Amino acid sequence: MNFFKRAWLSLIAKKGRSVLMLIVTSAIMLFVFAGLLINTAANNATEQAKESVGATLTLSANREAAFKKMQQSQSSSSSSRPKLTTSPVKLSDAKKIAKLANVSSYNATTSTSVNTDGFDTVSTTSSSSPMGGMKSSSSTGDITINGVTNTAQSSSFSDKTNKLTAGRQLTSADSGTNNVMIESELAKADSLKVGDTIKVKSTSGSKTYQLKIVGIYKASSSATTQMGPGASDPANTIYTSNTFANTVKGSKYANTADSVTFTISNPSAVNQVKKAGKSVINTSKYSLSADDSSYQTVKASMKNVKSFANKIVWLVSIAGTIILALIVMLQIRERRHEIGVLLSMGESRFKIISQLFVELAMVMVVSLVIAGIGGQFIGNKLGQQLVSQQTTTATSSGTSQAGPGGTTGRPSGAPTGNMQGGMRQNMSNQSSKAKQAKLKVTLSPVQLVKLGAMGFVIILLSVVIAAGGILRLRPKQILLE
Amino acid sequence: MLEVSNLGYWYDHQDNSLFNNVNLTFEAGQSYAVIGQSGSGKTTFLSLIAGLDVPREGTISLDGQDIQQIGLTNYRKHDVSIVFQAYNLLTYMSPLNNVLTAMSITNSSHQGDQQFAKDLLGKLGLTDVQMTQMVTHLSGGQQQRVAIARAMAVDAKLVVADEPTGNLDEANTKEVVNLFQKLAHEQQKCVIIITHEPDVAAACDRQIKLSNHEFVVKDATTV
Repeated sequence: MNFFKRAWLSLIAKKGRSVLMLIVTSAIMLFVFAGLLINTAANNATEQAKESVGATLTLSANREAAFKKMQQSQSSSSSSRPKLTTSPVKLSDAKKIAKLANVSSYNATTSTSVNTDGFDTVSTTSSSSPMGGMKSSSSTGDITINGVTNTAQSSSFSDKTNKLTAGRQLTSADSGTNNVMIESELAKADSLKVGDTIKVKSTSGSKTYQLKIVGIYKASSSATTQMGPGASDPANTIYTSNTFANTVKGSKYANTADSVTFTISNPSAVNQVKKAGKSVINTSKYSLSADDSSYQTVKASMKNVKSFANKIVWLVSIAGTIILALIVMLQIRERRHEIGVLLSMGESRFKIISQLFVELAMVMVVSLVIAGIGGQFIGNKLGQQLVSQQTTTATSSGTSQAGPGGTTGRPSGAPTGNMQGGMRQNMSNQSSKAKQAKLKVTLSPVQLVKLGAMGFVIILLSVVIAAGGILRLRPKQILLE
Repeated sequence: MLEVSNLGYWYDHQDNSLFNNVNLTFEAGQSYAVIGQSGSGKTTFLSLIAGLDVPREGTISLDGQDIQQIGLTNYRKHDVSIVFQAYNLLTYMSPLNNVLTAMSITNSSHQGDQQFAKDLLGKLGLTDVQMTQMVTHLSGGQQQRVAIARAMAVDAKLVVADEPTGNLDEANTKEVVNLFQKLAHEQQKCVIIITHEPDVAAACDRQIKLSNHEFVVKDATTV
């Protein structure tokens, strides 16, 4: 009968002691496992954030350089009124950046406005608003045109602020066409549906364009609440191809855009792409700005979660080792007589220690099963609690950094009709995506093996620490005194 | 076979030695009774020749080799089996498993180990049911017989027993003494029994009396 069988007989004969050991080791393993699961889940969440949260680079006119140029011309010439002159982005320049590594796609955006011809815009009704109930109409146009390469990549659609309700979205295949997407409220007000045509005319009134409705979208109410007094109702925004928006703006805007947004496939490479992008463009004309704040928010919160999970693993492991070592020491005191009998028969101390180790190992195997079942549950609860705390902190700090207005406003004369709204949408987008960074705590065989390895290290250390008591013992002292 | 040379032992808290300059020889195929008053040092002597403790002076040799050179663990494992007064059985096992454990630890293999152990326990009066019960469910006499069976099951040359019949009635005492005699005479083992009982001592081939810190051999076999 070897020490394995002795260990087994001891375990089944002393059921109370075995159950107590099982409870203690299960509790230790549960928390170690929960920590390991949270740690792995945080790693996975950070990896997933690279793909799902994404990062973008935006190429636009360099306003700072243009402003400095304006100031210089103001000081050199006092006769004429200074003028801020910015260049639209040439698509040929944008394509150079699109070819760089880690750039998955790009979306050119041009904004302008037109007036209706033969249909009505949607009126913004608000009892508190001085503009309430009035039909919106001004020299800047009563319809806002958002010219894009692909609506699906536009932030309003990707963050679900706008949702397609009928027809289809605009794609790069719509380039050069007069296909449009209109808002559902506008469609309802004018009884328009997919396939119908509408007419708009330029703000100068010189040109009329016939547009074909290929899709209808619904703008969320949250976008409406962000509007300030005098702003156009979001229902009066129509999406067209970038080329059509350029056509409305004038022939000199052909093959240009107000800004081009590049989607970066790997958010951690955003700075690398930005550096490479700056080397292929004229930085005095253009600015290239990175937006990986969503990724950084998720990364930072996951880093905190990982750090906490690591602390759990270490603390529980150390405390568990000490607790188990104390229990084994108490067991050795209780089992001195048995150890003495085995020593008197010539059993080696190594095998006696091994028997104690095997007894604990058998208990540990059952504890692993219990931890496997319970660890995922505890890990999920604990992980979500941690993430919700981290996300709340990260989101509130992100909002406060943006300031109450969300932006500093736009310079006069700049062709950025919806810049403020865009920035607000972007912040909203970041917050919602940061909230989406949930921990998916899942059990895998690798983690169980890792837990098992940790468990066996813990019991090995416990037995080795407690074994000093056995090594000091002499059979005569135990059996005859 | 077993030679004790200039053996001396004392406890730190006592002024005088328990015994000093002891020289004895124990032969295979013989049984020895060590007798003496309580506290005279009989059990300490047993612990020394059984390799449970280390002498302060002198040496104990088995077949000419100092048992400390053999290694006390090895010595206990291969050369000596002990029957304790308090039985010292493994309480979480049955009698059968106690015997099998001793055989396993000492690498004492017999054809059909399990059957050998059962036969041995049967000879000592244990029923099949008692053999598979927990030893704690047995009476003192039954537990003593299990302890004796355990000592008999291993292949040691030397059998050392401390008051092995202390918990047995007269009939069982005779039976156990006969068993020890058989071990000595039929299996050529050296049997050393520590006892208070004159009948048990008389049944042994030699008697060694420990009195006033000196060993006196009744039947002149030694130095």
